[in-house]
Amino acid sequence: MPLLRTSLRQPVSAVLVILGIALGVGVMVSIDMANTSAERGFALSTAAITGRATHAIVAGDQGVAETVYVALRTDPVWRRQIAMAPLVRVLVSSPQLEGLVFTLLGVDPFAEPPFRAYLSAAEGASVEAAVRLLTVPGAVLLSAPLAARYGLEPCPPDRLDDGCRLTLVVAGRNHDAYLVGLLDPSDAFSRRSLETLIVTDIATAQMFGDMAGRLSQIDLILPESLDPNTLAAVLPPGHLIVPAGRRSGQVVAMTEAFRINLTALSLLALVVGIFLIYNMMTFAVVRRRPLFGILRSLGYTRGQVFGLVLAEAALMALIGTVLGLGLGVLLGQVTVRLVTRTINDLFFVVSTRAVDVPLSSLIKGSMAGMVVGLTAAMLPAWDAASVPPRLALLRTDMESKAQRLVVLAAVSGLILVALGAVVLALPTRNLVISFAGTFAVLIGLAALTPWLTFWLMRFLSAPLGRWPGLLGRLATRSIIRAQSRLAIAIAALMAAVAVTIGVQIMIDSFRTAVILWLDQTLRGDIYIAAAGFSANRPDEPLPAEVVAAVRGYPGALGTAGLRVVGVESAYGPVELVAIDPETALNPRLFLQAQGEPAQVAAAFRNGAVILSEPLAAHLGITRAGGTLDLLTPQGWRSFPIVAIETDYASTRGTVRMSLAVYRRLWADERLNGLTLFLPADADIEAVTADLRRRLQAFPHVQVSPNQALRQDALAIFDRTFTITVAMRLITILVAFTGVWNALLAFQLEKAREVGILRALGLTLADMHRLILLETALAGAAAGLFAVPTGYALAWILIFIINKRSFGWTLPMYVEPTPFVQAFLLAVGAALLAALYPSWRLHRLPVAAVLRND
Amino acid sequence: MNVFLRLENLTKSFSEGETRRLVLQDVDWEFETGRFFAIVGKSGSGKSTLLNLISGIDLPEKGAIWVNGHNLTAWDERQRTLFRRTAIGFVFQFFNLIPTLTVGENVLLPLELNRVSRQEARRRAEAMLAYVGLADRWSTFPEKLSGGEQQRVALARALVHDPPLILADEPTGNLDDETGTHILELLARLSREGKRTLVMVTHSSEAASYADHVLRLSHGRLWQER
Repeated sequence: MPLLRTSLRQPVSAVLVILGIALGVGVMVSIDMANTSAERGFALSTAAITGRATHAIVAGDQGVAETVYVALRTDPVWRRQIAMAPLVRVLVSSPQLEGLVFTLLGVDPFAEPPFRAYLSAAEGASVEAAVRLLTVPGAVLLSAPLAARYGLEPCPPDRLDDGCRLTLVVAGRNHDAYLVGLLDPSDAFSRRSLETLIVTDIATAQMFGDMAGRLSQIDLILPESLDPNTLAAVLPPGHLIVPAGRRSGQVVAMTEAFRINLTALSLLALVVGIFLIYNMMTFAVVRRRPLFGILRSLGYTRGQVFGLVLAEAALMALIGTVLGLGLGVLLGQVTVRLVTRTINDLFFVVSTRAVDVPLSSLIKGSMAGMVVGLTAAMLPAWDAASVPPRLALLRTDMESKAQRLVVLAAVSGLILVALGAVVLALPTRNLVISFAGTFAVLIGLAALTPWLTFWLMRFLSAPLGRWPGLLGRLATRSIIRAQSRLAIAIAALMAAVAVTIGVQIMIDSFRTAVILWLDQTLRGDIYIAAAGFSANRPDEPLPAEVVAAVRGYPGALGTAGLRVVGVESAYGPVELVAIDPETALNPRLFLQAQGEPAQVAAAFRNGAVILSEPLAAHLGITRAGGTLDLLTPQGWRSFPIVAIETDYASTRGTVRMSLAVYRRLWADERLNGLTLFLPADADIEAVTADLRRRLQAFPHVQVSPNQALRQDALAIFDRTFTITVAMRLITILVAFTGVWNALLAFQLEKAREVGILRALGLTLADMHRLILLETALAGAAAGLFAVPTGYALAWILIFIINKRSFGWTLPMYVEPTPFVQAFLLAVGAALLAALYPSWRLHRLPVAAVLRND
Repeated sequence: MNVFLRLENLTKSFSEGETRRLVLQDVDWEFETGRFFAIVGKSGSGKSTLLNLISGIDLPEKGAIWVNGHNLTAWDERQRTLFRRTAIGFVFQFFNLIPTLTVGENVLLPLELNRVSRQEARRRAEAMLAYVGLADRWSTFPEKLSGGEQQRVALARALVHDPPLILADEPTGNLDDETGTHILELLARLSREGKRTLVMVTHSSEAASYADHVLRLSHGRLWQER
């Protein structure tokens, strides 16, 4: 009670600590919600599709020939041994379903029961609905809760009408579907799984998805006694048997780096929070040492005092955590959208529905908030418990102790930096280890900050003592002598500002690299592609009429085609980008090459492939040379790897191949994109407008001039980092609350000194200047030490974390702006902390403070 | 004899919850230049309040304070601060040295505030420290000094800029008897030698015995006891 009362007498301080914890917990919860939602969204949709299948027959994006299914199904041997079900997957959206992305799942209702239980009549789908699925063109089934949410009613048994019509958009084209029945599975998991599915029959899915004669896969339930290779041996070339869980496993692996990066960034706010809570609790203990002395004199045991301080910390941590959970849930609404959009941009199309709040996120957030609060309070609580039973220790004793701790922290910091450097130097791609090393370096440098601040202030004492004179000397001395109050807050601010610098340099370097890469890559004048669900991948093939119209555009110097397709490799599915070597091959992008550019081009024309850097990194290929096995319709084929090149288009990475070679081997004439080359004096805007007019029958086809495409690419880039910037700002806010807390307390504690100086003749203006100078110096120390720390972090992020996360080699571009901005930010934050003490100056009872010891 | 300080109908009260407590009521007094005045009274009688009014730290509700012919109560806050800076030397019960400054720097402080040149300030501060017997403690921080030594530094700081008025608030209240006696002797000597007016509030009759005049403050009124 006595502690609580003293805390309540300093409500600003308590509020700032609670706010710090709340922000830290909020960020963590929101990011965890986003990661979990995206992961769960994908897991549910894949689980819904995979069902009880053990394996699947696949053939890349080309799809499995329908004849393969027919052949197996009619083969008496295979039919008896294995359960099999054809499957067609098509991504669709519907204006009646908020434009969200759904998977249209084409199934054979008769083959389904062993695989996906919710499709069986017993699980909710009526027999009539199953029959109508097969007999009515465009018939679809939706889960009952989904239909109810969007107010959709199934068609009456005897007719189809507008009331049950559902417009499905596939590759920009509208298709009429009819809701003929509802799926209402009994278990919650199936109900959740069906949230992202629209079920139809094979023929409808093939029709909508332009997949006539082809299946996405054939699901299999293989008995354990059967070797999958036995079945694989009878499959035609170009087909492969893969384990059923492979796709979801790959997706999880694909986004793991992204998720770990986000989590690390979200934890940063909490790490900064730990510093600040520790600082605040230390400060609170120091301030109340006389009270602890009295309590001990009255008979409180050490354990009781320890418990009192810890209970107070627990109460604040609890309030902060509860607020943080609420904040996290609110922030989660935004982060889920941002993360989902980034995953859609960079990795794969994932559909997250109404943001739910995973219990796991709340538990993690609660534990983090309480553990952080209590851990940070442990040492101060122990310190309080060790106060001897007398009224007070001298303040100078506190500061002497703090000075000793500053040296100890500096030594520990150096050791931590060295350890971090060793960990980062380990030849591993494990991101958790890499981030542990990064945090060690950051925390180590933060631990060095108080010692560096001490020496900086000593160094500045002489020049500032000459100008501005007395105030300069007072200010530097105050900071030196207030280590117990300020050291950790300055260190925490330094760390937060350093992260700002590091992340900003990383983003700036990355952006500059992307701009230079776009300069090298986008060399055509106008680009034509079909709009798909992904912002940066031309997923959909162009209609043949569009290709013909562009190829025959009058006055054009030429065109170059692009085909993007998923194919099976020895390492799993990879994205194959087939290009025209004459226009799209750029030796300047080669990081590794087998021979001179002309030799590379010749090899490329003859069937060699070029790997993008991220793919080479994923596959563990460090040098050009060797081969990559790809599954072609003719079977497995080895392609020489002639170069590894820079490519910032995708984190998954791509294999580049000559379009002519691709067409010959895959017998696929379709194109996903076209580049139009125009004479130098052509009016690009006019041609773009003209092409758009000519292609107006194809509203989903986008015609973009070079400049617009470049801007779009950079817009995607920028929005990828939106969440990073947001989290960085929150981390800074957490640091700010700590610094405000510490500086505020520091200034308020100096009431007596202020009184003396006022009595001796320092004017109010002088006192304002002194307060500003002290806080500015504290901020400047943090800002100054953040400069080298930020540079080191940028280096680590660019050359280690980024490389290990995504496989990209980025040059480091260092501009003075982030450093200057960060320095000003630190000083500005500190100066803000001076406002309240400055305002209080006018109300300071000088006479009273002079009389009190 | 010249009157350096004149109090005129000085009235001051403080609110205590719903009620107001009258601390000074129509106090009139004249303090002559170069004399040592001790104001005695019980705790809470308003002695320190009177000092705060004289120094311009606080303002009366009614009345005026005339210093060398100037009405202090008519000045604004800045003028009163500058007056304190140049004309007053303060000695406190709890020494009130700036803990972040060394002994020398504490003594230099009033000189720096009064913009005395660096060399001159140093010379005067060293001389004053030598006078109070602490010449060798220039670079020591106050926390390393005993209470008596700290009060001697405070005396040096109060006198180094040669103020015409010294205000001492229970200067021996936190010292043992022997040290207190020593400080009082020093204080009296320094003020007499410099022909300064010294106003000291104390509850100790022994301390008051060093003064030329002993005034008693009771029930808001001031009268001469000796």
